[in-house]
Amino acid sequence: MTKLLRLAGLAVVLVVSLLFAVFVGDQGPWYFAWVIGTVMIILISGAGAIMLDAQSSLSPDGEI
Amino acid sequence: MEFINPDVVDLSRFQFALTALYHFMFVPLTLGLTFMLAAMETVYVVTGRQIYKDMAQFWGKLFGINFAIGVATGITMEFEFGTNWSMYSHFFGDMFGTPLAIEGLMAFFMESTFVGLMFFGWDRLSRQAHLAVTYLVALGSNLSALWILIANAGMNMPEGAHFDPETMRMQFESFVDLVFNPDAQAKFVHTSVAGYVSAAMFVMGISAFYLLRGQHRQFAARSFRMAALFGIISTVAVITLGDVLGRLDYEKQPTKIAAIEGLWHTSNPPFEPWIVAALPDDAKQENHYEIGVPLVLTPLITHTFDQPITGMHELEDQAGPRIRSGIDAVAALRRYGVTHSGTDLAQFSAHEQDMGYGLLATRHAPGQDVTAIPADQVDDVVRATQPDILPNVFVTFWSFRLMVFLSLWFFALFAISAYLSLKRRLERSRLLLKLCMWSIPLPILATEFGWITAEAGRQPWTVFGWLPTFLSASSHGMSYMVFSLIGFVLLYSVFIAAELYLMFKFARLGPDHDSMEPHAPAAPMVSAFDMRPMAS
Ligand code: HEM
Repeated sequence: MTKLLRLAGLAVVLVVSLLFAVFVGDQGPWYFAWVIGTVMIILISGAGAIMLDAQSSLSPDGEI
Repeated sequence: MEFINPDVVDLSRFQFALTALYHFMFVPLTLGLTFMLAAMETVYVVTGRQIYKDMAQFWGKLFGINFAIGVATGITMEFEFGTNWSMYSHFFGDMFGTPLAIEGLMAFFMESTFVGLMFFGWDRLSRQAHLAVTYLVALGSNLSALWILIANAGMNMPEGAHFDPETMRMQFESFVDLVFNPDAQAKFVHTSVAGYVSAAMFVMGISAFYLLRGQHRQFAARSFRMAALFGIISTVAVITLGDVLGRLDYEKQPTKIAAIEGLWHTSNPPFEPWIVAALPDDAKQENHYEIGVPLVLTPLITHTFDQPITGMHELEDQAGPRIRSGIDAVAALRRYGVTHSGTDLAQFSAHEQDMGYGLLATRHAPGQDVTAIPADQVDDVVRATQPDILPNVFVTFWSFRLMVFLSLWFFALFAISAYLSLKRRLERSRLLLKLCMWSIPLPILATEFGWITAEAGRQPWTVFGWLPTFLSASSHGMSYMVFSLIGFVLLYSVFIAAELYLMFKFARLGPDHDSMEPHAPAAPMVSAFDMRPMAS
């Protein structure tokens, strides 16, 4: 039951996101770009940190 | 009729500029640091590694100092609209009040409510719930900026309102037009992302300080890398949106773009040079010591090779008929206020679009009353008003250039820093680390220059094309203005001093504990610039 509810919740989020993307993408392309761009900036900077974790575990005493 | 004292107007402008400049020292960090905290905490939730929690908490502490002091500087500005700019508030309040109220009720409350949970909820909320709170703080602070910039875009490129001769004010018409005004969109993204650049430089610079001292190495390396990547993408975005703003100014604010580019005469496409440096002389209406790069201006501004950009002399010429028509509009409006006759209303409607230019002429009319201009002196008044349509070219030209030159510096610094961090060659690049450290205040400076470009370039209007600045102020006495100005300067200087003191103190102290190197000293390293081994 909880799984079903979670799925339904995710489906609602998906539909709302799609509607948001269609409406804001159409009316305010730069607002839309800001949302997508901010998410991208966060993900890329986070990925950079995780990559550093991997690099340090390969050579723990190396330069930073 | 009450006479306008130009000294009071100048002091009101000076006071607003000063409080806004102070406020803008705190805003960019708040806008950017919240999303950087969200990025660090996201990595913590995904990897479960303590060091990312330490990062979110330490940088969160510095954010908290900035937030607490910055909030106070913003609140006074909202009151200034009513106290010092009552004519403006009457004329444009219907339009301006809406986004300002939403900002206060929605975004500011959202930000302030969740900021408490963010600081005190670490042990009370689940990881995911705390992360959601951090994102809500970031969203709230940026949405605050959104509503303020929507209001500001309404002043620069009024959309979604019309002038009502019954109420003598701009009447709010369309919420969608207000919110989706292209200028609001571009301003918001440019300013928000300028905040990201400022926060990235702040985190990168302080991390560079730790790396130079060999302190908190693992903590600093991760913070540095995240900031460098955050910064380089944000700098590309800020430049892209800067281009969009320039193009919008070209379409909707021709006097601003001509002043930004120091363009006294209409350009000659495609050869017109982009002036890299010059000394614009506002009095003589020409540039001295121009250095330019040929062929660049036309594609840069118009995104074509054949469209001309109207110069300031030609804009003055074009304003002549509009001032004349505006004088008729103001005279018809005056008559309509008394008679309420359909004929007067029809005459006003015929000249309505030029009303602002008529209001601009009041400064040169006998007794500041355009209806009192004798017929044989109309030409003189029009001629005297024509140069008034231009902003201060020297200020607009140089504030824009300093912002742009700084953005090129940020681009280079973030790109090299990101590269060296990815290659793990940071610690030998001591010069770069020092440059990162010394560059911490520069994005905030660029933000101030950006704001000066936008607002000085908007002059002589508070509402572009509709309401001149000198008609927008309240009729205070000089002593009131001087007294409040001194009060603000003293108070805000104390705020800045407190901010700097606390920031330096807590940045020097560093994170509470180093989770990846609890006790061990950092491995000795040899730098290319400094051959002494570094101590932990
Ligand atoms: C090549 C780079 C850049 C270009 C072409 C550019 C362009 C512009 C233009 C044309 C404006 C005036 C907008 C208006 O008419 O209202 C502006 C405003 C502004 N700029 Fe930039 N900019 C650049 C870089 C930066 C950087 C690096 C920062 C800060 C880190 C910055 C911060 C601002 C701010 C805060 C404003 C005021 C926003 C507003 O109210 O319009 N800009 N910029």
